[in-house]
Amino acid sequence: MRMRDYFQDKLGLLFLALVSLVMILMLCLAFKVPLEAIWAISCLYLFTLGAMFCLSFFKKKRFYTDFIQNMERLDKKYYILETLSMPNFYEGKILYDGLYVINKAMIEHVKNYELQMDDFKEYIEMWIHEVKIPLATLTLMFHNRKEYDKKVLEQLRRIESYLDQVLYYVRQEFAEKDYLIKKNSLEKMVNNVLVKNKDDFLENQIELEVRDLDFDVFTDSKWTLFILNQIINNSVKYMDDMKDKRIWIFGSEDESSIYLHIRDNGIGIPLQDIPKVFEKSFTGENGRKRSRSTGMGLYISKKLCEKLGHKIWLESREQEYTEVIIAFAKNDYYQVLER
Amino acid sequence: MKKILIVEDDRSIVSELEALLIHAGYAVEILKDFQNALEEVLKILPDLILLDINIPYLNGEVLLQSLRKVSNIPVIMVTSRASETDEVLSMSYGADDYVTKPYNPTILLLRIQAVLKRSEKTLDTVSFKDAVVYIQKGMIKKGDIEVFLTKNEMIIFNYLLNHQNVIVTRDELMTDLWNNNEYINDNALTVNISRLRAKLKEVGLGEAIETRKGMGYILS
Repeated sequence: MRMRDYFQDKLGLLFLALVSLVMILMLCLAFKVPLEAIWAISCLYLFTLGAMFCLSFFKKKRFYTDFIQNMERLDKKYYILETLSMPNFYEGKILYDGLYVINKAMIEHVKNYELQMDDFKEYIEMWIHEVKIPLATLTLMFHNRKEYDKKVLEQLRRIESYLDQVLYYVRQEFAEKDYLIKKNSLEKMVNNVLVKNKDDFLENQIELEVRDLDFDVFTDSKWTLFILNQIINNSVKYMDDMKDKRIWIFGSEDESSIYLHIRDNGIGIPLQDIPKVFEKSFTGENGRKRSRSTGMGLYISKKLCEKLGHKIWLESREQEYTEVIIAFAKNDYYQVLER
Repeated sequence: MKKILIVEDDRSIVSELEALLIHAGYAVEILKDFQNALEEVLKILPDLILLDINIPYLNGEVLLQSLRKVSNIPVIMVTSRASETDEVLSMSYGADDYVTKPYNPTILLLRIQAVLKRSEKTLDTVSFKDAVVYIQKGMIKKGDIEVFLTKNEMIIFNYLLNHQNVIVTRDELMTDLWNNNEYINDNALTVNISRLRAKLKEVGLGEAIETRKGMGYILS
């Protein structure tokens, strides 16, 4: 709060005070008050006026200066009240109390939404677990009747995969900490996903080449399984029927990280689409051509990777290959924990 | 015959699981009284328990905890709750394995087999007819004749040995192979089986593996 602005604001009052001074002086002259007395009255008047302004200015200055500065500095503006001390003048108190009430109302409002969100998240999670029970029953039923058609199981697998997409979308969007990082074997996780998708590979006559996976990485295995499943589903989905279909899965490492590569010789991704494949709801040219893409798989995968502290990116050339790489950091901190 | 207890409250899944396990050659018991679950389990005294987390009255984790205070019966948690926290928690309570629904039935059977094997002394050698099979070495010996199997052939033969006199589908063999990091295709499986047959013939077991058309294979 600056002195100049404050006085500018009080210009009207100041003008009124001066007018009243002039009138007092005129009265004094009319009553023939001695000149010395008039001088004394004017001085006293002006001194009182000045003192009054200064007093009220400095009283407010501290509070408002803090208010303005903190407002600028704060990242989350709604915490402003927490940074101010209760002012000792009337208008300040009104403002302070007002802010308090607004804040409280807003917190309650947001809390309400948070609760609704939590309820919704919880409901979705529960619902998905419930749906998985009949899904498991169906899988068993078809398995038990030996003459089942593999295609039925494939469709059940697809339902499961889409269900997982919703589950993990909800988890990454609303859950602060719904994961647990521990040591996991890369080979086991890859194996788990490959066995799950076995029928898809055999049905589509896709050759698999898996090597160099003898690494342990620190991650949440359930989340990683979901991510791998999404990537591999994509590879299967975007195969090139003209070629001998092939997927390579292998690991590598350098000083800082362990890398998992998943490479296919499918239709690839157009150059202009590559930077956007991890965006929400992005389907791109391939998604439109093959017409069954929600554009959520890679988006959710990337989000999950970010939360887990892994990096994920993709290299591709149209008509030639797509390679997704996940980097698991070798974190000394985790190693210490291990010991 | 190994006795497996199913602790699960969804009836349709129980009856399908029962069918699957009976077909795989296990005796099956089903927990009916969830209110006195622990006493029931101890009365039945199974060789292995398939335990769901979401069961009435007390949840599976609590039951597992109280069971572990009195018994070491192997337990496989079977649940639709797929979170690492649940898994780690279950394992720390003393579960032997953790499988999430929906699961591949063959994989479930393999997991059961693995847990059962762990709980008894693992046999490295199995005798079949008048031959001896050294599983770790991948060798079949009959008299002076020794035949060595490749890794794939051993996986197939081992699976057949564990399921003698029942029909084993190609899908089951394939699942077991994939489960052991051997990602082979249909043709390769056919080749492996015919090689295995040829090797069995060398030890006089040429007719051991029979083909059942459209169904699979049977070892007898």
